[in-house]
Amino acid sequence: MQFHDRIFSFLTQALLVLFLATCSQLSIAKNELPTIGEQYMDVDIVDPTRDAGYVVGDILQRKITLTVKQPYELITESLPIVGYEHRYRGKKSGIELVKINQSMDKNADSETYTLDLSYQVFKTDRVAKPAALRAEVIKLRHTKTKEVVQYRLPDFAFRISPLSLIGQIKLDEEMYPFIPPLTLDSQPVTFNIKVLSVILALALLGLLYIFGAYAWLPRMGAPFAKAYRDVKKLSDSPEDIKQAVTRVHQSLNQTAGGSLFNNNLDAFISQHEAFLPVKSEIEQFFGLSHEVFFEDASQSLNTESPKAWLLQFCRRMRDCERGLTPDPLQGNA
Amino acid sequence: MSDRQLADWRQHALTLESEVNKVVVGQSNPIRLITTSIFARGHVLLEGDVGVGKTTLLRAIARGVGGAYQRIEGTIDLMPNDLVYHTYLGEDGKPHVNPGPILEAGEDLSIFFFNEINRARPQVHSLLLRVMAERTLTAFNKEHHFPHMLVFADRNQVEKEETFDIPSAARDRFMMEIPIIVPKDEAIMESLVFDTRFHNVDELVSGVPENILKYKELNKFAATLQDSVSASPALRKYALELWQATKVPLDYGVKVSGVDMSRLVLSGASPRGMGMLLRAARVNAWLNDRDAVLPDDIHAVFHETIAHRVVFSPVYEMRRTEIAREMLDGIVNVIAAP
Repeated sequence: MQFHDRIFSFLTQALLVLFLATCSQLSIAKNELPTIGEQYMDVDIVDPTRDAGYVVGDILQRKITLTVKQPYELITESLPIVGYEHRYRGKKSGIELVKINQSMDKNADSETYTLDLSYQVFKTDRVAKPAALRAEVIKLRHTKTKEVVQYRLPDFAFRISPLSLIGQIKLDEEMYPFIPPLTLDSQPVTFNIKVLSVILALALLGLLYIFGAYAWLPRMGAPFAKAYRDVKKLSDSPEDIKQAVTRVHQSLNQTAGGSLFNNNLDAFISQHEAFLPVKSEIEQFFGLSHEVFFEDASQSLNTESPKAWLLQFCRRMRDCERGLTPDPLQGNA
Repeated sequence: MSDRQLADWRQHALTLESEVNKVVVGQSNPIRLITTSIFARGHVLLEGDVGVGKTTLLRAIARGVGGAYQRIEGTIDLMPNDLVYHTYLGEDGKPHVNPGPILEAGEDLSIFFFNEINRARPQVHSLLLRVMAERTLTAFNKEHHFPHMLVFADRNQVEKEETFDIPSAARDRFMMEIPIIVPKDEAIMESLVFDTRFHNVDELVSGVPENILKYKELNKFAATLQDSVSASPALRKYALELWQATKVPLDYGVKVSGVDMSRLVLSGASPRGMGMLLRAARVNAWLNDRDAVLPDDIHAVFHETIAHRVVFSPVYEMRRTEIAREMLDGIVNVIAAP
């Protein structure tokens, strides 16, 4: 075959294909129904609240309220059919209408149809992909002229998300609005906070103890409260009795603000009236002190159990310094 | 000496006190201190205003103590010789020399009363200093001894004209300087003014029984007394701390209002003074029927035995009485026993 014959044959075939295609388009355009006038239709559509983050199995609800005014009526057969799966260019869209509830209210000059459409997602992918609830085309008929017209309900575009993330992804860097914020494991921190809180509380208590002159309660660190604790630790040996008497002298002097002796006891009592009930015991204590420190060391003490007496004396003095009525004293020094 | 004898002597001492207290009212503490000095064998300097009864008190004491009593008035023209002898022209027209107040009674002299000692010249003070310290005097080529003598002197701090301050060395010879103040009790003040009994001093003093004490036995008894009253280690430590504090009161935190303490004390109490303090404290313990010295005994005589021995900076001498009182009170207050 000659070269020009080949070219002619190719051009002839091309023109034929072009002709057929044009005829086909004209035929499609000729089959499309006219759209109903706006004045005859009121449409209210409630779409899903979010448009992304759907995964396979999710159901999307769409509520459509159609009000068709006279002289048109809805051809109910044109409504979407359950189980119908939309195709696009021959491929299934993966979005299937799984349920439809319809109701109709008839009015004087119109009919109101309420459609509850439930679509389920049957597709997934490794990455987020766009999808749509398809645009449904419904048909209506003129009740008198029987003319059929159509109305195209708008589609609803949304994105489908993969079920799981593939590959190395740092979630804290790849923030995604529908993934809740990542939480750190707070258990060790909580434990540390509890331990440190306990340590802080103990430290504060220790500080309080130090500031309170090593006493937990008010006046627990007062001179005779301390003397009572110190004397309690001592034994009944002569050396310890000396130490105990010295300790009580220190408390007396501390309370008096100077050295207290028998000859200034009256002045002390007049300045510290709380100690008036124990004046005679203080005199007895001075007597014991004289025996211990100043009189003949070879002679035994008049007091049978000096430590027990000193403890009682300290307790009574402690009561006085706390403003309490002292317990009755048993025995004499 | 037995406890019985100690008790007997104590009874005599208390009788002396009580008798003198009848004559000189409202002065029980000075009388106790003078009694203490008598038994501690220490000389006494009385200090007080004019007419408060210093002389009456000393005369009454002298009568009760017994023995010879001599007295001399301090004047600006008094010379040491006047204490030792005096000369006069006798009826025979010849000069005669008689022993003076100190020598006249010889060894029987028990009380030598020097009235207004601060009016005498320092030469007289010097003579007295030796007599007080050694109880001896050399005169007429002979050494005279006065073993039982106690010097009682008085002075008034109000008058400064024609007076001579007693040097610290002479002051140190006195065991005590006792202030005599007018009693504040209104009843006593009224009786001193309106009770005619107090107007005739001679008759008043004669009310005190003579020779209550056996003065010739006082020295011996005083030594025994000192031996019979003990001072424990705790008390010794306390006394030493008091002594140290009189030297450096600032180190012990003692403060006196309006006084720079770092400049106040030139010299604290002397060892002799501290010895006298302990002698007097022992007597006080004995008078209170104890056989051991307590801090209270020291306190009873502390001010009177120490105050006049501490030497102050001259700038503070004018306020000596007030400052010494406050300083010594502060010392007693800060030093604990035990």
